[in-house]
Amino acid sequence: MQRERVSLAGGDELPAITKELTQEQITRYAEASGDHNQLHLDPEFAATTQFGGIIGHGMLVLAFVSEMLTVAFDRDWLESGRLKIRFRAPARPGDALTSSGRVMKVDGARVVCEIECRNSSGEAVLDGTAEVTVG
Amino acid sequence: MPSTLAALPKGYEFPPTTFTLSPEWVGTYIDAVEDSAIESVSADSVPPMAIAALSIRALIEASPLPSGTLHAGQELAFRRAIRVGAELSVGARVVSRGERAGWVLMSVDLDVSAAGEQVMSGCATITFPVES
Repeated sequence: MQRERVSLAGGDELPAITKELTQEQITRYAEASGDHNQLHLDPEFAATTQFGGIIGHGMLVLAFVSEMLTVAFDRDWLESGRLKIRFRAPARPGDALTSSGRVMKVDGARVVCEIECRNSSGEAVLDGTAEVTVG
Repeated sequence: MPSTLAALPKGYEFPPTTFTLSPEWVGTYIDAVEDSAIESVSADSVPPMAIAALSIRALIEASPLPSGTLHAGQELAFRRAIRVGAELSVGARVVSRGERAGWVLMSVDLDVSAAGEQVMSGCATITFPVES
């Protein structure tokens, strides 16, 4: 896989990745994670909630963001990554979810980024910050 | 043992749990999240979110999530790259619990170690209906 090098300067964009969320993937994630919350798996139950239908696991969406950060920072993300996010909106089957980030500041070897994941409508599903020590 | 997370008070300490990052489970996880980046790090690297997911799985198997639980926020810090096959220990504690407008807001600190060395820490914030 061609890995894009991140320019370590404030304002630089991290390479974004886009993934389509499917019900099949949500179901596979439920099996792997052990989170069988009906909100993710039962359309009849999910229809009775404020979301009106099935939504994906927050941790599944966060895995997409972590993949984006792995692309950007490789092993440094695994060895020194930190993130702090808030979930803002649901991710639904059929959404194309784009995970992206922007370097906010570089303090020696420490890189601090704004990160977010947006759905097809441009709505932020999650946002927050990520930090990594580049080596 | 509490029936669900809903019954847990602030200060509750989950019983320590150990788990192994088996090749089978890691493969299942990577397939589920469709991570195409991790293999470029190394063939036996584990996605850091997999560690978080399995840690949380160990907790919710002991104390299931109440019906209608929503994930509100997440903090994580990764301290070491972990390889497939590693045995990890997870500890957790309910660090805050409050109620507002019919919803409980709960934060749970996570601490994951391998061979006595911390490899991941974090805090999950969840919310669920008061009647859960």
